Amino acid sequence: MPAMPVLRFDNVSKLYPGGHAALEDVDFAVDAGEMLFVTGHSGAGKSTLLKLIQLAERPTRGAVLFGERNLAKVRGGRIAHHRREVGVVYQNHQLLADRSVAENVALPLVLRGVRRGEIGKRVRVLLERLGLGERGRSLPTQLSAGEQQRVGIARAVIAEPAMLIADEPTGNLDPTLSAEIMALFASLPERGTSVLVASHDLGLVKRMRKRVLVLDHGRLVDDIAPEDLADE
Amino acid sequence: MNERVDDVRASRLGAWLDHHGYSVVASLGRMLRKPWATLLTIGVMAVALVLQNVARLGGEVQASRDIAVFLDPALDGAQAAALADRLRARGDVASVAVVAPDEALARMRERPDLAAAIDALGEEAARAALPSVLRVVPRGDEGLLAESLAALPEADRIQHDAVWRARLDAWLRFGGRAVLVLAALLGLGALLVVGNTVRLDIQSRREEIGVLQLLGASDGFVRRPFLYLGAWYGLASGALALGILTLAWMALRQPLADLAARYGSDFALRGLPALPALLVLAGAGLLGWLGAGLVTGHYLRQTRPVGR
Repeated sequence: MPAMPVLRFDNVSKLYPGGHAALEDVDFAVDAGEMLFVTGHSGAGKSTLLKLIQLAERPTRGAVLFGERNLAKVRGGRIAHHRREVGVVYQNHQLLADRSVAENVALPLVLRGVRRGEIGKRVRVLLERLGLGERGRSLPTQLSAGEQQRVGIARAVIAEPAMLIADEPTGNLDPTLSAEIMALFASLPERGTSVLVASHDLGLVKRMRKRVLVLDHGRLVDDIAPEDLADE
Repeated sequence: MNERVDDVRASRLGAWLDHHGYSVVASLGRMLRKPWATLLTIGVMAVALVLQNVARLGGEVQASRDIAVFLDPALDGAQAAALADRLRARGDVASVAVVAPDEALARMRERPDLAAAIDALGEEAARAALPSVLRVVPRGDEGLLAESLAALPEADRIQHDAVWRARLDAWLRFGGRAVLVLAALLGLGALLVVGNTVRLDIQSRREEIGVLQLLGASDGFVRRPFLYLGAWYGLASGALALGILTLAWMALRQPLADLAARYGSDFALRGLPALPALLVLAGAGLLGWLGAGLVTGHYLRQTRPVGR
């Protein structure tokens, strides 16, 4: 019997006021521990798709299922609960400027009520792993763009979310750092975290040899398996 | 290999205390980072609270509205005391105090202008001229009581300015009602001041709140630092208001007592006792908490995900 997908879009459409369709009849599933990319031109619907997963928006039609949870029915305090299960990496980092690197990274653990001593330990270990061991007490504004992005990634993965979504995570980074970050993402499925990366960098997407969803004007126009990537 | 996150959670109480501790410190930090804005807010709220509590300093005018019964000079002290006992037994009398001629003479001597007259008249002659006086504090309709006291055979005359007292009563009733209205308006003003301050703080931290929400912060987690911020504003302004009230009491009590004495009244300004002072503090803190809660709740409702 196949495992239940961690995420499923069932004919999902999202219309904004004025009738603009950001997504139309999008249909796909993501397995637990799978890494995949979603790509497309600017305005193709990538960001809207990510917003639906983290419940920043709700679909106009269709259903977004996270495990067995229909996100359309999630209300009140359950919204926050759902968001704790989804780690998010933003292109512009979205770090809290008046808190140190360590405090930023610790936030998801604080929100999940982890013991204080355990939080400190995990933050130190993860920052070391990402080459930020000396930067724990720095403010985000004192870091380079690459370092800020790594802090954003550390914050997204520290609480071992069921799913990590990343919106153009390598947009401002040099190729070497991009490759390092992708390698980090690729290691997450070993811990059971599914990874969905939105990117318009086709070179990067091809190099990673993972499944790719292609969006165009809000429609899912292709779902390419890793083995078929070389032919595309 | 690390344990899973769910296996290393603190107890619910531990996490709750941690969050509150963080909120207390963070909200204090926010206040202290903007000292001038904080002082202005606290000052405005304190002035509102001072005016709201000014009425608590007064309140003894009612007790000074007694009726003076000047007895027949032929009555001696024992007869005056017996009459006082009879009056105390009446339902329309709250209390009776006997002012003997010796006591009246001693009080008159305290006033330099009268002391000279007593010396000119001679001590004994002055004492003989003074009757015993009963100071009767009414319970209920003082007009009827005054008429009844004037009809007593032992009474030579009574001092009770009915018209003046009726006017005073009307002014006191008006003043009491005006203070109530003012208190309600100023309480609302204090609520709006703290609400507006917290609203501005929320506006300046919109991005931070948005990030926290997307990371999975509950409404309570987002709301808590603002609630504490409101409570700190309330408590600080309550403390400042109490300080101002105490200074006002110290500055005014003696001149006002002297003024009242000139009108034959023992009216005195009371300071604010400990319990009402604590209630003012608690009420101000609660007002701040409430104002912050209303504004934060409104903001959080606006940030719910939209759609079906």
